[in-house]
Amino acid sequence: MLRFTLARAGHAAAVLLGVTVVVFALMHLVPGDPVRVALGTQYTPESYQALRSASGLDRPLISQYFHYVGSALTGDLGVSFRTGEPVTLVLLERLPATLSLAFAAMVIAVGLAIPLGVYAATHQGRISDTIVRVVSQFGVSVPDFWLGILFILLFSSTLGWLPPSGYVPLTEDPLGWLSRVIMPATAVGLVSGAIITRFVRSAVLESLGSEHARTARAKGLRQRIVRSRHVVRNAMVPVVTVIGVQAAILMGGVIVIEVVFAWPGLGRLTFDAVSARDYPVVQGAVLLVAALFLLVSMAVDLLYARIDPRISIR
Amino acid sequence: MGRLSRWTCVALASALLGACSPGTGVDRGLSKDGSGVVAAIAGEPDQLDPHRTSAYFSFQVLENTFDTLVEPDRNLDMRPALAERWKVSKDRLTWTFTLRKGVTWHDGSEFGADDVVYSYRRIIDEKLGNAWRFDGVEDISAPDDSTVRLELEKPMYNLLSRIGGHKGLAIVNKRNVESGKIKTRPVGTGPFSFDDYNPGESIRLKANSRWWGGAPKIPSLTFRFIPEPTTALADLEAGEINWTDNIPPQQVERVSQNEDLELDTEVGNDYWYLAANQDRKPFGDPRVRKAIAYGIDRKSIVQATQYGNASVNQLAIPKTNPWYTAYSPYSHDPRRAARLLRSAGVRNLKIDMLVTKEYPETVIAGQVIASQLEKIGITVKPREVDFATWLDKQGKGEYDMLMLGWLGNLDAEDFYYAQHHSKGNFNFQKYSSRKVDELLEAGQKESGRKARKERYARAARQIADDASYIYLYNPDVVQVWAPQLRGYEVRSDGAIRFRDARLAD
Repeated sequence: MLRFTLARAGHAAAVLLGVTVVVFALMHLVPGDPVRVALGTQYTPESYQALRSASGLDRPLISQYFHYVGSALTGDLGVSFRTGEPVTLVLLERLPATLSLAFAAMVIAVGLAIPLGVYAATHQGRISDTIVRVVSQFGVSVPDFWLGILFILLFSSTLGWLPPSGYVPLTEDPLGWLSRVIMPATAVGLVSGAIITRFVRSAVLESLGSEHARTARAKGLRQRIVRSRHVVRNAMVPVVTVIGVQAAILMGGVIVIEVVFAWPGLGRLTFDAVSARDYPVVQGAVLLVAALFLLVSMAVDLLYARIDPRISIR
Repeated sequence: MGRLSRWTCVALASALLGACSPGTGVDRGLSKDGSGVVAAIAGEPDQLDPHRTSAYFSFQVLENTFDTLVEPDRNLDMRPALAERWKVSKDRLTWTFTLRKGVTWHDGSEFGADDVVYSYRRIIDEKLGNAWRFDGVEDISAPDDSTVRLELEKPMYNLLSRIGGHKGLAIVNKRNVESGKIKTRPVGTGPFSFDDYNPGESIRLKANSRWWGGAPKIPSLTFRFIPEPTTALADLEAGEINWTDNIPPQQVERVSQNEDLELDTEVGNDYWYLAANQDRKPFGDPRVRKAIAYGIDRKSIVQATQYGNASVNQLAIPKTNPWYTAYSPYSHDPRRAARLLRSAGVRNLKIDMLVTKEYPETVIAGQVIASQLEKIGITVKPREVDFATWLDKQGKGEYDMLMLGWLGNLDAEDFYYAQHHSKGNFNFQKYSSRKVDELLEAGQKESGRKARKERYARAARQIADDASYIYLYNPDVVQVWAPQLRGYEVRSDGAIRFRDARLAD
């Protein structure tokens, strides 16, 4: 276990270093200049030069990169060009909104996907299976922003049940948070849930037809026990992988939904930072998302062993 | 999953369901104390240092927290703000401002002449974005605590609009700047003081009861950042916010018919234009630029981009501005346009036109213009890039034609000098005309308002005749609010001032 964790940590460090190279190169390769964006359309060449050197952008690229990585190793991700605030602080401010939305969306996604997927698989070929398949296909195809706007028009404008947008921290006002998170979480959760449902259905189908399920039934175990202990549990290994990927995607921020619901998450922050060519914030945000991805994938690997004792972690 | 977490899930699920039922858990309060104004703007300020930001969203907030020495009134004439009065020397080279007495900063400390000198010196010495507004200012001094003196190299008749027409020239607090807090926790002298900032979500200001113009009638003013217009309108209808300017042009008619909302428009002071890169062939030839000016139909461009919520204009300055001149040399005349192209010997012209999604009107106009110019044998290829790239391309001259708008100009000089003088800072299209240079310089030297207006009107007509810019329209300023919000006025300069606003019961 320790060896596994250490090896994964080493692997993660290498991936993160690679991410810094790619993001750094990409941001500097695309056209657009943060100094021009900061100054707008009205400035003189002197103002331009002054801000350029104050931001350290007049130094050679290689030296800028090594300076960045050196500081990042000590936990200093630099200072935002736009706000002048430490990037670490900027990211931490947005993390609770992103994580709480991702969590709520995953509760909805998984809460829908597992029962529906299992139900559809165990009722394969029946009308209820067809309904689940059609609905999940619809869920995969429908754009989440459209769903979001539809929710606002229905639940806020027409019925007046929920506030259309905004964010309050879960810790300050749980009910306020809940009333505001429910629409964006459902819009995102339905789409993720539809993807997971399809995986659950096919994994359970495969597991239903497997030899161990047949053996269990031959032993005379009741159908319910066979399904819950032998079929579903075995089907969970691929499902957990998909859930992990979906969760990691949500943690990286869901730009469009954040825009529709005015949700102060990482997605909007990163989008705004890219538009303004705020290199430090973009690099920091991508690093953070990459780190979250790695963490989730490690958690998924650890879960495999819990689900399937045949898998051992070394 | 342990038993506890299973119960947590059940509790969460029931809470989620509970929140769906009517009337539970929905906070319909307008603000924390229930009596402040909540205004929705379409984006988040990048920072709150008025000298360093150039973002429109920042200035929407800063308009309410900072003061300038003088400020534009409703008719865009300059009137006293932090300066109570001013005197100009006979040679018109020394301006002496007498400051208002008893003004305090939001932190309670006293405001004085040193603050003005510090603010202006900061902009000039640190070469900040607005430093060009002090071009021609030789010295800034404070002979005593309530007097500020500006010495000029040559007479500058629009000095007041230069230092007062833009909140980027706000007077800032030295301690606030030096502590670095001005970016996120600004201290100003304005009608509202900074209270709280929720990144990505909102900025809350509270009334400054000691404001020199009289305490605001609302206890607090919260700016929420709601980028999606549908959401902003739903929030307004639900009573979550009281005011927004985030209304897409296509919604204006529908919203104006909603009796539960107040919508007001004013011809805006901003203008949108086309500019061809005169460094590139064949756009150096005025006949080609004029052909484009005759080839486009401004009315359909306004209809397509603004759904009619704009005024067609063939010069920059709108009717609502005191410097307005009526002049429309171009009509939609494809035949004449084709003749001009022929006489310039241009055939099968292809135009690379820069447009950007950050200003969606440019993308739509690009398509309309392409179809209009196709009729005179010009192929326009709109090139959509993000605004950062757009600025880069404009700066490097890597384009044939572009469309953009200029915002926040007040004085006639603001509209024409930097854009069309051959040495102008923003003459990216590389226009050069000795006649226009002379007229623009004369406009700076002329002292009487009437004579100045005449100089600038002549320069503007020449600029339009040469099609240095092909002017398109002045968009309306459109804002909408709940009827409970009283005493608020839409301004043609787009400044959002809540100092006189109040909320009816």
